[in-house]
Amino acid sequence: MIGLKALRESPKRVDQKKRRVASGIRPGLKIRTKLLLLVVSLLAIPWMGYESVREMERFLLEGQEQALELTTQGISSLLGNRSDLFDPGVGVPEVIGRTSRPLPTEIEQSLSIDATASGWVSAIGELTNFTGFGLFECGPEYQPDSLAVRHGVAIDTEQFFAYFEIDDDIIIFRDPDLVSLNNSDQLRMTVQASSGTVSRYLLTTTEPGRISIYLMKDNWREAISGDAVREVAGVLDLTDRGYVIKLRIPRNLLGVGARLKFEIVDVDDIGSRVVSRVISTEPDPSQLGIGRVRLATPELTKLIQPLYLSEANITIWDRGYRLRAQVGSIFPPAREGFDLASEEFAWSFPNVETAITRFYEWILRSPARGFKDMPVDSSQEDYRLLGRVLTEGEPKSERRRYGDAKLIVTAAPIWAEGSIDGAVLIKQSGNKLLSLQYRTLQRFTLLFLGVFLFLSVAILVFSTRLTYRVGRLQRETEQAATPEGRLLKDQIRPGARSSDELGSLTRSISGLLHNLGQYTRYLEKLPDTLAHELHNPLNVVNSSLENLQYHHRELADDKHLQRARNGVGRLRSIITSLTEAASLKEALSHEQDERFDLTALIDGCVEGYQAVNPKHRIVSTRVAGPMIIEGVPDRLAQMLDKLIDNAVQFGADQGLIVVSLRRNADGIELTVANDGAALPVEIVDRLFDPMVSRARDARKTHLGLGLYIVRLVAEFHNGTVVARNSAGDRGVEVVVSLPQARVPPR
Amino acid sequence: MATVIAVVEDDRDQRENYVDVLTAHGYDVRAYADKPSAEAGFERELPDLALLDIMLGEDMDGGFDLCMELRKLSPTLPVIFLTARNSDADRISSQRMTAWDYITKPVSLEFLVARVHALLRISEQLQHRSPDSSVFSVGNLELDENSMLVHWQGQPVSLTLTEFWIIELLTRNPGHVKSYQALSDVTRQGLVERNTINGYIRRIRNKFRELDSSFDRIQTVHGTGYKWERDRE
Repeated sequence: MIGLKALRESPKRVDQKKRRVASGIRPGLKIRTKLLLLVVSLLAIPWMGYESVREMERFLLEGQEQALELTTQGISSLLGNRSDLFDPGVGVPEVIGRTSRPLPTEIEQSLSIDATASGWVSAIGELTNFTGFGLFECGPEYQPDSLAVRHGVAIDTEQFFAYFEIDDDIIIFRDPDLVSLNNSDQLRMTVQASSGTVSRYLLTTTEPGRISIYLMKDNWREAISGDAVREVAGVLDLTDRGYVIKLRIPRNLLGVGARLKFEIVDVDDIGSRVVSRVISTEPDPSQLGIGRVRLATPELTKLIQPLYLSEANITIWDRGYRLRAQVGSIFPPAREGFDLASEEFAWSFPNVETAITRFYEWILRSPARGFKDMPVDSSQEDYRLLGRVLTEGEPKSERRRYGDAKLIVTAAPIWAEGSIDGAVLIKQSGNKLLSLQYRTLQRFTLLFLGVFLFLSVAILVFSTRLTYRVGRLQRETEQAATPEGRLLKDQIRPGARSSDELGSLTRSISGLLHNLGQYTRYLEKLPDTLAHELHNPLNVVNSSLENLQYHHRELADDKHLQRARNGVGRLRSIITSLTEAASLKEALSHEQDERFDLTALIDGCVEGYQAVNPKHRIVSTRVAGPMIIEGVPDRLAQMLDKLIDNAVQFGADQGLIVVSLRRNADGIELTVANDGAALPVEIVDRLFDPMVSRARDARKTHLGLGLYIVRLVAEFHNGTVVARNSAGDRGVEVVVSLPQARVPPR
Repeated sequence: MATVIAVVEDDRDQRENYVDVLTAHGYDVRAYADKPSAEAGFERELPDLALLDIMLGEDMDGGFDLCMELRKLSPTLPVIFLTARNSDADRISSQRMTAWDYITKPVSLEFLVARVHALLRISEQLQHRSPDSSVFSVGNLELDENSMLVHWQGQPVSLTLTEFWIIELLTRNPGHVKSYQALSDVTRQGLVERNTINGYIRRIRNKFRELDSSFDRIQTVHGTGYKWERDRE
């Protein structure tokens, strides 16, 4: 294979590739990326939403504060000029924790300690349930089945009666061998006398029946004296759900203005005897430290009772900073407070639920956390505020923050004939608002996530469609012409009917291609038209010359006449080659393919060429065996004619022309190589276009249609043709690639 | 009485040249520049042979129209189309109008005169039906050199003069390769390109294949020429 080895890409081809790359894809953001970045800017919406919710929170807190102020002032004016209510003499000892029924039932007839439980219940009336509300020492894991308390008190002229129904699954009585007393189920009673003296009574028993009562030290472990208290009588009866305690206390033991607190202590493990739960009748056990005087005025309490506010604590104080009445608690009901989040998201998929809950916890601060931060005792701050109100005589309000917990506190003085009798102080938790805010944020977050997702998908779809359309337009435009700039189609159909700018761009490009196509067709038809027009004058010249010769026989050998005839001959061959390409194009459309052996054709042709061109050596090299292709042999021979003409014309004198035929992966490769001068770089891309020639010899005709015919025939056979300089720039080879015939049908 | 030849050509120079050369060879020439005058002339006097240009001035197919007129007047009148148009469509049209020959410009006057002679002789043969017609046959092909009639498997094949000459050359020595040069000479058109010969052969094959779709007597010898394949008997 002479001259075929070591083919390498010419620098020109490399440049061409680079140029194509440069005009096509450049590094940088694509439309889709840009639009998605735009979507990211939508993230400003949740920020804005968060800010507005915060703003709303401030606004609501302010509104709440104002409402509280109004309530405070309302209560203060309600209580104005009622000095009688603040008389230290009217106070009664109050059993702490009766938030819903603050006063003991007054009974006519004394109750017997040995009377039946039902007798007591009917005398006392409705019992207060301490299972669902007021549980502050049991914690969220509290289970009503394990320990529940129903409690009621009654009072007659002499005695104070207390009744407890206790549900307890495991009853542990006192072990007489143990010295310390805090290791069995027991009832603790704390009495704070109006003088402030605190007495602690522990009621326990080793068996059902009479209860032993001891006066205890403040650690609830050791009795002050080994003797039981005799004044207080108690009986424990077992029931099927637990036990019942009936208690009778002389009123004079308590005195006027005393405070009383009961705590049911539950021990469930006989081995360790550790206190597992305590239920207290004090709704807010640490709100009022034991030791502070509480002079409850029942009438005052009655007055403010209807003013109950949710999650608010209303207190009435006298000049001596003594609490005269209170209603409500700043803490929400326990269950609601602790179960808020799980109720909100009680979905069927636990994993999703916890994931979402965690997600919200992470983004938003859960108000449940706020409750944990809420101080149980804020009396120091309360006294400071009360002091300012009582001394200045002005209503005051303030907002306090304890971690995530918010507390709104308002206080107003109560006036009576120019002097301050006392003050109203209302504390309300802002966490209800927070939980409102939390829910708003939750909804907003869901809404936003939905909108964000929708917009993202919409923009993604839109941008994908846009990118696709732009890409399609680019593809169509690139496919409309070969890299050499030859037009393949003269319109772009896909996307041209769209009414937007891209559609109009497509139409513009399509129109441009159409005009270009018309122009190209005009150029392609030009040789034919030209030839046709030239034929008639040429015929005039030719026939005139022949007539001249006929009538003037003596001129037969005239050199001028001879030159004229030569000129006519050249003109004629020019016109023939002009029409050849055009008529070939038309003729090819009528040709019918046949199967034949290309090697036989090449061999025959090469033989003929050698005979016609004795000045060159024309050889063929090929692999053994026939190469069957489908095509028109005459046209392929015509193509070979042109290739040989070209090789002879530009080859060196006495040079070698090699026609080689070989198979490659795609089909058959026919190469005609000569040893002439290298191709000029500037025409190598356009060599196979009509009217492009590298010849500069004026005596010969070079219309540049020969290689155009080669291209037409090659393309008709679904092949391609390229020209390139041989290795070492010694000679040029033209390579025609043709597809091999499919396996012949048997 | 001299033989009358009608020349219809819109280009004055070419027309005059035809007239000059044909007159010089002893023919009585009637020259017309356009279709109306030619039609009037044909009405007056029917020529023995007509040379027609296809495009007459603005009339793109004037020559074809005239040919049809002449066919109405005489079914056997030899007609030669002499045109600058070299498309297969035009050739087929001329064939359909049973023109006897189709020559593309530029034409050699010398060969033109030869063709005119030949066609007139054939025309005469057809009219007189001389029994000594020299018919020779090659396999299924019958060829009458005098009347230019060709039959394939007994059916007439309608060939132009040039095509007839090519068949005549190919069948003279069946199996022998006729070179492009020899084929070019026999067309009597002066310089003829290989491609033009290929075109003639293609058209001849098509005409035979219209009668016999399996016709494969004319074989291509790539790079050299063509041969008429002997019948395998």
